Amino acid sequence: MNAALLAGFFKNFAKVFTETAYLKMLFKGLETTLIISIGAAAIGLLLGSLVAIVKITPKKNKFMLIPNFICDVYTTVIRGTPMALQLFLMAFVIFAIRGFPNELTAIFAFGINSGAYVAENIRAGILSVDRGQSEAGRALGLNGRQTMLKIVVPQGMKNVIPALGNEIIALIKETSIVSMIGMVDLTAAAKIIGSGQNLATYLAPTAVAALFYLIIVYLLTFAIKLIERKLRKSDNRK
Amino acid sequence: MITVNNVYKSFGKNEVLKGISLNVEKGEKLALIGPSGSGKSTLLRCLNLLEEIKYGEVWLDGKLLTPVDPYLHFDVIEKSNTFKKVCAELAQAGTPESEIREKAILKIKKEDLLKPFEGREYRAAVKKIFKENYLNINLARRCMGMVFQQFNLFNNMNVLNNMIYAPVKLKIMTKAQAEEKAAALLKRIGLPDKADAFPSSLSGGQKQRIAIARSLMMNPEVMLFDEPTSALDPEMVGEVLALIKELADEGMTMVIVTHEMGFAREVATRVLFMDGGNILEEGAPEKIFTQPQNERLKDFLSKVL
Ligand SMILES: Nc1ncnc2c1ncn2[C@@H]1O[C@H](COP(=O)(O)OP(=O)(O)O)[C@@H](O)[C@H]1O
Ligand SMILES: [Mg+2]
Repeated sequence: MNAALLAGFFKNFAKVFTETAYLKMLFKGLETTLIISIGAAAIGLLLGSLVAIVKITPKKNKFMLIPNFICDVYTTVIRGTPMALQLFLMAFVIFAIRGFPNELTAIFAFGINSGAYVAENIRAGILSVDRGQSEAGRALGLNGRQTMLKIVVPQGMKNVIPALGNEIIALIKETSIVSMIGMVDLTAAAKIIGSGQNLATYLAPTAVAALFYLIIVYLLTFAIKLIERKLRKSDNRK
Repeated sequence: MITVNNVYKSFGKNEVLKGISLNVEKGEKLALIGPSGSGKSTLLRCLNLLEEIKYGEVWLDGKLLTPVDPYLHFDVIEKSNTFKKVCAELAQAGTPESEIREKAILKIKKEDLLKPFEGREYRAAVKKIFKENYLNINLARRCMGMVFQQFNLFNNMNVLNNMIYAPVKLKIMTKAQAEEKAAALLKRIGLPDKADAFPSSLSGGQKQRIAIARSLMMNPEVMLFDEPTSALDPEMVGEVLALIKELADEGMTMVIVTHEMGFAREVATRVLFMDGGNILEEGAPEKIFTQPQNERLKDFLSKVL
């Protein structure tokens, strides 16, 4: 690479961090990204857990037939259609109410989307536990709930945690499409900073935004590893 | 002690048990033998209802564990609308008065004519039998210890918790009592220092002995063994069989699915040969192993002995 170009890049890179207006925009964008991500992750985990519970309840329970059907439709539709389309629908149809905060629209859209994936992850994790484990519990006279909560779920969680971590990481990165409904997140902020009226180059601001995403993802990955290690320790102690 | 009455079980289209009836008396040691896929495990798992059955009933100590099977109760069939209809038809066809009842019941049973709704009287009769005899399966299972081919120790608990979790949770004993009993059992099976070990650190033979001890924690009246040594390395088979034999000698009632013919011959008081979802022959071990009658039993024995 040309030395002058490189110098230009570093100059602009430094500028993003030193110019208060840019820095402010960047952190405002970061804040938006984090608010949407955290809110959506919370909704996703809650909703996903509920849906997973409904889905793993034995089918022969008649009271569960309708909830089960609803949950099946939910996960199928959400996972079968693009996130951008769901966000668009939320913003311009379902929550097309004047004065309804954009953040909430985005949190709901991403939360509802994430819930479907979380539900599938939890369900798969629980189902991956050997059937013999729950059979042994039932054979001792424990009821279904006791067996599930004390024997199956603790073992299933070991498989679920990494999958959930991946889901949250994917969610954070996916929030970058909110500019579509006029919100300024980290990605949108980088775009504005790089536009003609400002820096007039996208390279430095996008690099900075990328760095921010990387840091968040790295921290998350680290936290998940810690949890995983802790779970494994309580499981395989010799 | 355990009575199995005309039990049918199928997995989808695959009929696995085709009308099994069986009685296990107190103190009996029953060995179930037969080729792979003949339904031995399924039958054993029907005894404690790990498998749901299609027709038939399972009773434990005079208590009904399954839903009422109307076909097994003539007085219930008689209260159904279908019975009245069939009787009328038979009368019209000129059947003698004295034979109508019997013929109607036979026809209904044979052609599986009962519908889900058969009138109020019928429903009341079914309900009455159920109410008078039903025992919740979770309570029944406490009296029936089960030992699996794959041990199925709880992987997320150490040995002590594997043993005490159920009896403490179900309030059968206090934690202190359970721990004391567990320690005594561990000592008995020769593993007194394994209380803190996790299943992943144990050998197959150790796991299976602990699985047996875990069942014994509940003070079961009967033990069900599903090929307890089939997943073990050969050098560990002996220690597990020795423990089972010890229990048998102490008078424990047991049903054992096994491919260890020598063991069946030595320990069992009665041997049942299953093939294709039916019990084809049963009798004392001496008789089964030295004078088999059924061709398929002869064939089976010639392969395994
Ligand atoms: N959970 C199941 N789902 C479907 N088919 C099964 C299941 N368990 C057993 N079977 C079938 O039932 C038949 C009898 O199986 P099993 O009772 O395990 O035989 P055995 O213990 O005598 O070898 C086999 O054909 C097997 O494939
Ligand atoms: Mg088997």
